Amino acid sequence: MNILFEPFQLPFMARALTQLVILGALAGTVGVLVLLRRLAFVTDTLTHTVFPGVVIGYILAGDDGIFWGALVAGAVTAALLTLFARRVSEDAALAMLLTTLFAVGVALVSRRSGYAADLTAFLFGRVLTVTEEQLVQTSVVTVLVVALLAVLRRPLMLRMFDPEGARAAGVRVGLLDLVLNAAIALVVVASVRAVGTVLVIALLIVPAAAARALSDRLAVIVPLACLIGAAGGWLGLAVSYEAAVSHGLRLASGGTVVLVLVAMYVLAFAAGILRRRLARSRVSRAVSGEVEPA
Amino acid sequence: MTEETTTGQVTLEQPGRTAALVLDRACVAYGDVPALEELDGVVHPGEAVALIGPNGAGKSTLIKAILGLVPVVRGRIEVLGTTPARARREVAYVPQADTLDPDFPVSVEQVVMMGRYRKIGWLRRPSAGDRAEVAAALERVGLAGRARDRFGTLSGGQRQRVLLARAIAARPRLLLLDEPFNGVDAVSQHALLEAMAALKEQGTAVVISTHDLAIAHLACEEVCLLNRHQYGFGPTESVLTPERLRAAYGGQALELRGDRVIVTRT
Amino acid sequence: MILTDMSWFDSTVHRAMTEAALVGALGGLVGVLVIVRRLPFFTMALTHATFPGVVIATLLGIDLYLGGGLFGLLIVLAIVAFSRARGQDLTAATGIALSGGFALGVVLVSAQDGFSKDLTHYTVGDILAVSTADLTSTLVVAVAVVIVLAALGKELLFSAFDPVGASAAGLPTLVLDFILLAVIEVTVVVTVPALGAILAVALLVGPAATARLLTDRLALLFPISAVIGVGCGLAGVWLSTRWDIAAGASIALFVGFVFGLAFLGSAVRGRLRSPAETTRHPVALEAVNDAGSS
Repeated sequence: MNILFEPFQLPFMARALTQLVILGALAGTVGVLVLLRRLAFVTDTLTHTVFPGVVIGYILAGDDGIFWGALVAGAVTAALLTLFARRVSEDAALAMLLTTLFAVGVALVSRRSGYAADLTAFLFGRVLTVTEEQLVQTSVVTVLVVALLAVLRRPLMLRMFDPEGARAAGVRVGLLDLVLNAAIALVVVASVRAVGTVLVIALLIVPAAAARALSDRLAVIVPLACLIGAAGGWLGLAVSYEAAVSHGLRLASGGTVVLVLVAMYVLAFAAGILRRRLARSRVSRAVSGEVEPA
Repeated sequence: MTEETTTGQVTLEQPGRTAALVLDRACVAYGDVPALEELDGVVHPGEAVALIGPNGAGKSTLIKAILGLVPVVRGRIEVLGTTPARARREVAYVPQADTLDPDFPVSVEQVVMMGRYRKIGWLRRPSAGDRAEVAAALERVGLAGRARDRFGTLSGGQRQRVLLARAIAARPRLLLLDEPFNGVDAVSQHALLEAMAALKEQGTAVVISTHDLAIAHLACEEVCLLNRHQYGFGPTESVLTPERLRAAYGGQALELRGDRVIVTRT
Repeated sequence: MILTDMSWFDSTVHRAMTEAALVGALGGLVGVLVIVRRLPFFTMALTHATFPGVVIATLLGIDLYLGGGLFGLLIVLAIVAFSRARGQDLTAATGIALSGGFALGVVLVSAQDGFSKDLTHYTVGDILAVSTADLTSTLVVAVAVVIVLAALGKELLFSAFDPVGASAAGLPTLVLDFILLAVIEVTVVVTVPALGAILAVALLVGPAATARLLTDRLALLFPISAVIGVGCGLAGVWLSTRWDIAAGASIALFVGFVFGLAFLGSAVRGRLRSPAETTRHPVALEAVNDAGSS
């Protein structure tokens, strides 16, 4: 078990761990909404459209500009997507928004001299160089998003389950959708420097999907997704550190975290199948002859 | 062949004609979950039978089983004297229009032509004869003028008529319709009923799933009352009695409690 | 090969132009199927998932196209398997496969030297680096795809429009689905080296989505989409050499630009009604018309 604790004696590793655990928990929570609203593609679009903001922020103000550039781009695309969804909720339109804005970012980076290195940092992040200031930013974002979701949890649930009913009950559905898109954008913005724009999508989808495979109850799914997200960050970081120190194998830490998460999902998926099979045989034994709803 | 139905009547065998559909103690299941049990009945060419039952009764499942898309786990379903899968060539299926993507870029003509694909075969293009067949089918449902319009621009009832035209173009001996009258305007309903009557006259057997009792009285001489089990199969008047209906539908209104589900079949 | 003998192909720009025209036409044609089947997100996952395959193929020294293709196929199977489970929809399964596949590629690449450079190559591609052998592969794939589309067009159309109806009519929908996915897959495999994993989607979705805004007629969709694809490909390479920006990005920018124009154009013409209106509105009108005429 030493592998799990020893690396984090180092200050930079401790900061990286704190960052990933917070992000994992945050993304796990928001991810449940993404999963239940089937917004995976919208989320993927958001992660890519934040990218030009990252590039422009970096060009204008260096490393510190990244967060703010991402924030502006995130806010703009969250609003755009909310408007968009009303007109054309088409995958095609999302794909076009995604590739076009991403291309703007790539075009801007490709004119710089240190092209390849910069692009890599933007796309895949550098979790090991996380500063205390970034930690503060992430914490503020987390508190903000969690508070927002906690306050709005009832209308969000209603809108998720029955949009027409929500509208009839006087819930402002458009505003709620904007809030959710903004929450997703904030998670992307907070994660951008640590795990990069491309891999955030994993933090947002995989823990929630794993939790969903294990339980049918929302009250269980949300904390479980949090836990899986945080554990994935921890384990992934430990694995990449161990590989580098003991085996001389450099594994990108962001990518390793995602692979650990996917492995956890596969385990949860298998466990979910097993659980349902057990439950079904119990039910059918208890009430054999009863008609099961389709 | 089981000719005795639950109504106690005996359907006489018509010599020289194969039954279009025979259900013989048929049980249908999705995976290990049984969907329909113990179905019995016969439909002859030129007859129409309505599948009546509440939502989730298994009407669509039975249609899929007749198409051979859902397996029969016990008993037997015989279509046109052979297995469902083998008979498929002469069976046409009309899905609910609103299950199809209204944005799909196909014209009305192209949709109806799909009914001919089976006869055209792989790798070949439609002939002039196929086109004439398509035009005639559209004429039958009263939509000859809309051939070049995009499918999605039509009203719900008109889309349903186009799908019936597609089935007509296939020249089936057995026609299966899944809730064809859902959300259909009066004009389209009339057109659908007329086209179906014409098909019946030519000897096509028709199976319609519906939860609309009036339609059953209007379009069908026989009814199969379903809710997971069969609650009756036979002439419309004798099956759609208050007692049988209460039996078939009541179970759903009441709460199901294990063994206390009322089963009227003996 | 005829191609290798021609001196015209000695020029990098000429090769890039040819490749851009070929993948443009191919992406345009196959894109029509992607659009009508609503598979843009799935295609996105495929482009990401071929990435680890290519890396593994490089490590093992086998053919890159083969490696990418085989791995992509594996991912398709995984997506289909996971999306079958209850509570897990196709979007979530696609998102997981997308991020997991990409992370695997990143981790594998990061274990090598020249991390940034290689990674850039995979993510944004390099059309100026195509060899005549690459050109030949693209040409072969393009010819094969055109033959398949011409031969099985009507069956693919039927099973795309009405899957249950098609299997009821005796068409082997599973086989047809697989053929469709294989066609998309080979297209992705030859497009990704030129445009990169993320921007390849632009060519596979954009031209067809644009064509879809311009016409409702299926017969016109294919040629219009192919022409747009070729045009954007050529214009992108031209812009890239003029302004020294990444070719993948400039191609994607052109695709986005053309789509934007078509989008605005159709909005102006008032053809862009919300889905609710297109279904509800005509019904009401038709009912009145029908009643009046009978």
